[in-house]
Amino acid sequence: MTMKRLQLQRWSSSVLSPRARTGGRLQQHLYYNLRRQSTISPALQAENEPLFEEQSLDTPTHVPQSSHFKYLLPSPPVEAARESAKLAALHARLYLPSRLPLETLARSLVDASADSNPNFNNEALASLGHDLLSHYTSEHLVCTYPRLPLTVIFAATYAYVGPKTLSAMAKEWGVEMAAVPGGEVDPGLLQFKRVLPGTDVNAEPVTGTERPNEHRKSWRKSMSSRVVYDNEFGDPVRASGDSAAPESQNTQGVTAEHASATFVRAVMGAIYLHAGRPAAKRFFEQHFLSRHLNMSDLFNFSQPARDLSRLCARENFEPPVAKIISETGRKSRHPVFVVGIFSGQDKLGEGAGASLLEARSRAAVAALKGWYLYSPLNVRVPSAMEEEGAAPWKPVHVDLGEVIV
Amino acid sequence: MRPSLRLLNLEVSSLQGSRTLYVCSVCRQEARPRPLVARQFLRNASNATPITERVRRKIWGTDNPPGLKDPYGGEGVLERKFKKDQPARQGEESENLDQATEEAQAESEADLAAAEAYEPATSWEGLPRVGHLGRWSDLPPSETDGYESFMLKKKVTKKGQLSLAAHQAAVEISLMHTLNMPLTKVCDVVEHDKSVFKMLWKCKIQPGANGQWSQAVVYPSKEAEKALVYIFEQIGGHPEPALAEETAEGAEEAVEESKWEDLVSEVNDKNIPFFGYADVRDKGFLSLPLDDPATKFAFLKRFSQLSGHYLPDPVIHSLATVGQAVEYVHSALNPKPKKLADYLANSQGLNNLPNVKVFAKKQMPMDRDEELGRKKVIEAELRSRGLIE
Repeated sequence: MTMKRLQLQRWSSSVLSPRARTGGRLQQHLYYNLRRQSTISPALQAENEPLFEEQSLDTPTHVPQSSHFKYLLPSPPVEAARESAKLAALHARLYLPSRLPLETLARSLVDASADSNPNFNNEALASLGHDLLSHYTSEHLVCTYPRLPLTVIFAATYAYVGPKTLSAMAKEWGVEMAAVPGGEVDPGLLQFKRVLPGTDVNAEPVTGTERPNEHRKSWRKSMSSRVVYDNEFGDPVRASGDSAAPESQNTQGVTAEHASATFVRAVMGAIYLHAGRPAAKRFFEQHFLSRHLNMSDLFNFSQPARDLSRLCARENFEPPVAKIISETGRKSRHPVFVVGIFSGQDKLGEGAGASLLEARSRAAVAALKGWYLYSPLNVRVPSAMEEEGAAPWKPVHVDLGEVIV
Repeated sequence: MRPSLRLLNLEVSSLQGSRTLYVCSVCRQEARPRPLVARQFLRNASNATPITERVRRKIWGTDNPPGLKDPYGGEGVLERKFKKDQPARQGEESENLDQATEEAQAESEADLAAAEAYEPATSWEGLPRVGHLGRWSDLPPSETDGYESFMLKKKVTKKGQLSLAAHQAAVEISLMHTLNMPLTKVCDVVEHDKSVFKMLWKCKIQPGANGQWSQAVVYPSKEAEKALVYIFEQIGGHPEPALAEETAEGAEEAVEESKWEDLVSEVNDKNIPFFGYADVRDKGFLSLPLDDPATKFAFLKRFSQLSGHYLPDPVIHSLATVGQAVEYVHSALNPKPKKLADYLANSQGLNNLPNVKVFAKKQMPMDRDEELGRKKVIEAELRSRGLIE
């Protein structure tokens, strides 16, 4: 398992300053026109300092604006953030740090489909937040469960920071959605352009990925190739250079799930930018890792006995042997067999079933889960070393991973 | 016809026609000439003795009865009018013209004589004043006509100035208590000189345990105490104390220019109440009790004079301390809004809360639509169907 390479420092600076040149996914933002009322100040380019002073907030510009003028804007003006009770309530409800101003929170509620100007939508914040979330989640998973199979890691990552989870979180936070985005809309509402009713959002498969031979549908996609070519959830993702996709998104609109997920990611990025890394990590632990995820439910073995024998062979254990530990009612309508799988003198797992085969299969699954779900004590993640005065790093144990059958 | 008149008629007809010939009363009425209708009232018109005289003679039993010749007050209104209209025709009655008519005739003759000696005036000198009818509104205003209001023309509105008025009143009433002078005499001096006011302003009030006003004043210095005691002895003793009599000696010697300067400075000072002082130095006077009715009346009178605010009787009855009086005037100046929306919009606690928004008007469903952004869509749809312009 290889983690995606993250370059946080460079990316955060690009969010701070629209003039900073960055490559990759933020390339597309560079050629947008600047609007005057941006919450970010181009003059502030403190790249090594994650916190910057909100000087623009100290000198608020009182521009007399008629309600008619507001209708012309694609998203609410920056001054409206201070007027909104919803926004202040959301800020207080999430217990966000006071250094995160309401204006930025309002900006994180504006989707790119509502306002295409990158100085006013949450796309840059969401990019940063997305990478922070996947970084923290993946290092947490890999360090806590060093032997997890890659498919389980993909599933667990999706369960922690996937779009469905994020939209559920936005709902739990009490974020309401605007019907139609516009300048007159309350800035405390999530604003995005909705897809037309009846549109099948999953009609066409994702195209334009970086995977070679993409057009060959029948070719097998290996797990290892998914690490390289696909996103952190193992799903195909569009290449960053492909600029046609966001344009079509802006015209056709996005789903509420997508917009909610983008908002949550943008909040994460905003916290990182305004309040710093410790606050971002705290927010991640309190809102994401605190969600209970039963890791053992994510496994799906088709042939557990075979996998177990391969595993034992790889790890130089003795070949597994299934033995009946106890049984009852063999001749009855509901017999119960308890089967244990032993490798030499060690019992790897135990399972109960209505038949001997079922019980053996369950015992093998239990043995495999016991192996894969190993978790060391006193887990430390690599990002813990970013804090001041951290203890010296001891390398964590990362296993080879799943057995390849 | 009334019986009394018929009685008179009978007498008059006896003079004109013979008694032997009988004429019925209706015919007698119609046969009589018209002007004689009025003659029935002319009791004094004939030489014959009127019936009243005859009745009197009969009563007294003599031809010269005592008393008035005509006990019924002389001629009536109609008789006089009739006589004036036809003086020539009633030649026989001209001798009976009374004294007033003769005098009037004499006056008109004198007027005619003056008209002959009339000379038109060439200048206004010596001419009598014409057009003055002797009414009070035509008279020039006298000293007593001027009105100066007891209270300030412009009411004091700031809280600091209200406190200043209450403080000054409290110090003055306490001084009068100390000097055993009549308390309400302080109202004779509407506004003190600036130096006196400054001394009063510097005085502190420390109410005693039993709420005595007489020992409450704490003077800033001995000199100030002496000066204030002297001044208020003057105010309390003089029957008619002049305004700012403490500067009276100096003002007499002053030359014209200094008088002008004083006037200017006075005018300037009058524009600013309390000489520009904003607030009191200590708040001790607020707890002074108003138990004694005389003290309460004197204080409230002086306070009303200085602040320009009336206090209604029920309020006066319920006041217990000086502070309550100041509080009442202050609350009367800033009444609680009648509408709850105004009250909520002005409340500082709500305005400081970021997650509370107070709307000035009622929020309708259309406002909700606008907040959600669908109002423009609804309006566009309505417009496309021609339902709104």
